Amino acid sequence: MTTREEGLTQIIEVFKDVLDDQSITLSESTTASDVEDWDSLNHIQLVVAVEKKFKVRFTSKEIQSWANVGEMITCILSK
Amino acid sequence: MISLFEAGQKYALNFQVTEEVYHSFLTAFKDFNPLHTNNEFAKEKGFENKVMHGNILNGFVSYFVGECLATKNIIIHSQQIQFNNPVYLNDKLTFDAKVFEIYSSVNAIEFKFVFKNALQKTVAKGKVQIGFLP
Repeated sequence: MTTREEGLTQIIEVFKDVLDDQSITLSESTTASDVEDWDSLNHIQLVVAVEKKFKVRFTSKEIQSWANVGEMITCILSK
Repeated sequence: MISLFEAGQKYALNFQVTEEVYHSFLTAFKDFNPLHTNNEFAKEKGFENKVMHGNILNGFVSYFVGECLATKNIIIHSQQIQFNNPVYLNDKLTFDAKVFEIYSSVNAIEFKFVFKNALQKTVAKGKVQIGFLP
């Protein structure tokens, strides 16, 4: 991933797959409360899938600090 | 809890699809498809005998996760399994698993596992992801 736009596109694909919902759209300002099925159990699957997709590892401190999808992208780009 | 596990850590177990296991599965889930209950039907389809339900092996995976790990504070998040060869009644199976990935960010661990029969043929393989209860 080289740009934030690419990152967002790939994250949307991950969310569609994990949440089994092809209609999902995300923006950098999207939060868990904006996505119906983004609950605590799915959050684990989403983080695992994002780590696999981007071949990165996060710390629990990092994921707790994310306020929205944009901060997730920032974290991935910092790896 | 996650510190109890290391990448590459291995586990080995033995299972057998006994009459008791087979009949318990039939009683519980009522899948009497002739492939699983009728030797002649299974032979007509090219198998040696009636084929055991693949999901019996998922029960063995459940036993591995629930009973054989270093802590009981465990929950299965997800499981994938691929059935590569048939399992027959009374087959003895070896089960080998290893810690494949550790996701410390979300306290999750992924195991890869493989079941082999007495001929060392892989009958099933897959992955199971677990998390830890508070």
